[in-house]
Amino acid sequence: MTHEHRARRFEVDALARVEGEGGLIVEIHEGALTDVRLRIFEPPRFFEGFLRGRMYTEPADITARICGICPVAYQMSACQAIEHALGVQVDDEIRTLRSLLYCGEWIESHALHIHLLHAPDFLGYPNGIALAADHRAEVERGLRLKKIGNRIVEVVGGRAVHPVNVKVGGFYSAPSPVSMHELATELRWALEASLEIVRWVATFPMPEHELPDHTTLVALRHPTEYPMLGERLVSTGGLDIDPSQWRNHFAEEHVEHSTALHGRMLVGGDYMVGPLARFALNSDHLAPHAAAIAAEVGLTAAERNPFRSIVVRAVETVHACEVALAIAEGYTPPARSFVPVEPRAGVGCGWTEAPRGMLFHRYEIDAEGRIVTAQIVPPTSQNQPSIEHDLMHLVEHSLHLDDAALEHLCEQAVRNYDPCISCATHFLDMRVIRT
Amino acid sequence: MTAAPLVTVIGIGNPYRRDDGAAAAVLQRLATQWSADPRVRLVELDGESVRLVQAWEGSRHVWIVDAVRSGRPAGSIHEVDAAHLADIDDTGKRLGGGHLMGLSEAVDLAGALDLLPTDLRILGIEGVDFDNGVGLSADVDAGVDAAVAFLSLALRDTLA
Repeated sequence: MTHEHRARRFEVDALARVEGEGGLIVEIHEGALTDVRLRIFEPPRFFEGFLRGRMYTEPADITARICGICPVAYQMSACQAIEHALGVQVDDEIRTLRSLLYCGEWIESHALHIHLLHAPDFLGYPNGIALAADHRAEVERGLRLKKIGNRIVEVVGGRAVHPVNVKVGGFYSAPSPVSMHELATELRWALEASLEIVRWVATFPMPEHELPDHTTLVALRHPTEYPMLGERLVSTGGLDIDPSQWRNHFAEEHVEHSTALHGRMLVGGDYMVGPLARFALNSDHLAPHAAAIAAEVGLTAAERNPFRSIVVRAVETVHACEVALAIAEGYTPPARSFVPVEPRAGVGCGWTEAPRGMLFHRYEIDAEGRIVTAQIVPPTSQNQPSIEHDLMHLVEHSLHLDDAALEHLCEQAVRNYDPCISCATHFLDMRVIRT
Repeated sequence: MTAAPLVTVIGIGNPYRRDDGAAAAVLQRLATQWSADPRVRLVELDGESVRLVQAWEGSRHVWIVDAVRSGRPAGSIHEVDAAHLADIDDTGKRLGGGHLMGLSEAVDLAGALDLLPTDLRILGIEGVDFDNGVGLSADVDAGVDAAVAFLSLALRDTLA
């Protein structure tokens, strides 16, 4: 069947979801692609208003509720921004514990996305449950790995969901050596399992596709580390800035079809955050096992096929397991679990790498420590324009596919970015409307 | 190795989506009676399916509490056996915040991996306001009290 001379319209209805709601529309008329719109309705806008007038101590706990999948990212970016505003420098030991906590979230989030949300696309299953029926060992391995990520968040963050042990300046209490010893035991298995997962996903059939040429990759950068808690923001276009300069280079704008603000670079052009961007800009700082397995499966900094992001996520999972294991094995309780913090008037910016990409926070605080303004820029809204343009690029080159195949390809392509909407579900109610 | 609690009560929801915080309120009120009992585990979750399955691991009896939206009066209590969850799915996406799909997937996933408990029941509390914000509607707050009383009786029966 050919489709050149009729209109096609793909629509994914709005999805109810705690950490994000949205839908996808692709329109094709007279054989030519006319529009792609990703509709996202995100809660951060509410939280920005909700935080005004609250004390500087509160965003770490409140913003953790924005996303059930990556609360640590919201906590870490909030703490970093508020500490910047208040002139607080945390101890190295506290920073190390924050890295461990972040490793837990990366492991948990990546393991979920790889096994139950994205792998079914590549292997021809409608969802993770059907995949589990035929690939039980792989799914069980992935869920055990995810559980270890949960356990890290529980040990360091106080509980696995919406951690409660994080505060501005550090942690309310430090983990016990016994709990860290137990974590290390689990992480030795996790490291081996994560290496096998890279080898597994590297065998998946990959659609031939590359990002549009004009897409700029953007990620944090640290002098010596693969960036979870990065310092500067860099890009494939030569950008190199600190957090306070973000507003000089990026902005958010309203678009008609989404309540989420679209991120854009002031110089123009799309930009993309997330694993592919992180890897392209930081692969030289991967931990040794992660670097070795990336080389083994042929992943290089020049990778621009967004479908291969599943392989990057698997490599990043190895990295997170490796870093977490080193921290757990070398752990001695810190001299203090937090540094003292005194309120003062100031403006602070902070950013960290959530599993889906860079998450920026900015707070203006008054002399009593109350929040005057808050700005939260999540990775999904930053990626929204580049997802739309990537889909346009993909569909333009795939118009020969029948409706079902094209729909499947679009869904799979959206999930390359692991946006909140697709991390929750395999796109319910997707349908084709012929006009 | 510590034995898993006999009963796990899981509360799903987001207290920053008004009545979607009903389950969290149930857990808070249940905790005053049950948090010290080693046979009972109280867990607050966001509805992600894998976390659900892993949260009930080892328990024979599992209760899942969530806010629902079916058109009944606010604060009404719904009790559903997980075996009949598919019937609820057919009536539409009723749960505030969309947890139902996570719950349905969790049950299916657990079935595929032989991780279903002996007894899995859902207690829904009818909500009316799922907008951004904090605080329960008055009728839903009363429904939370009713749910706590209901669950306390059920826990006593199970543990007797």
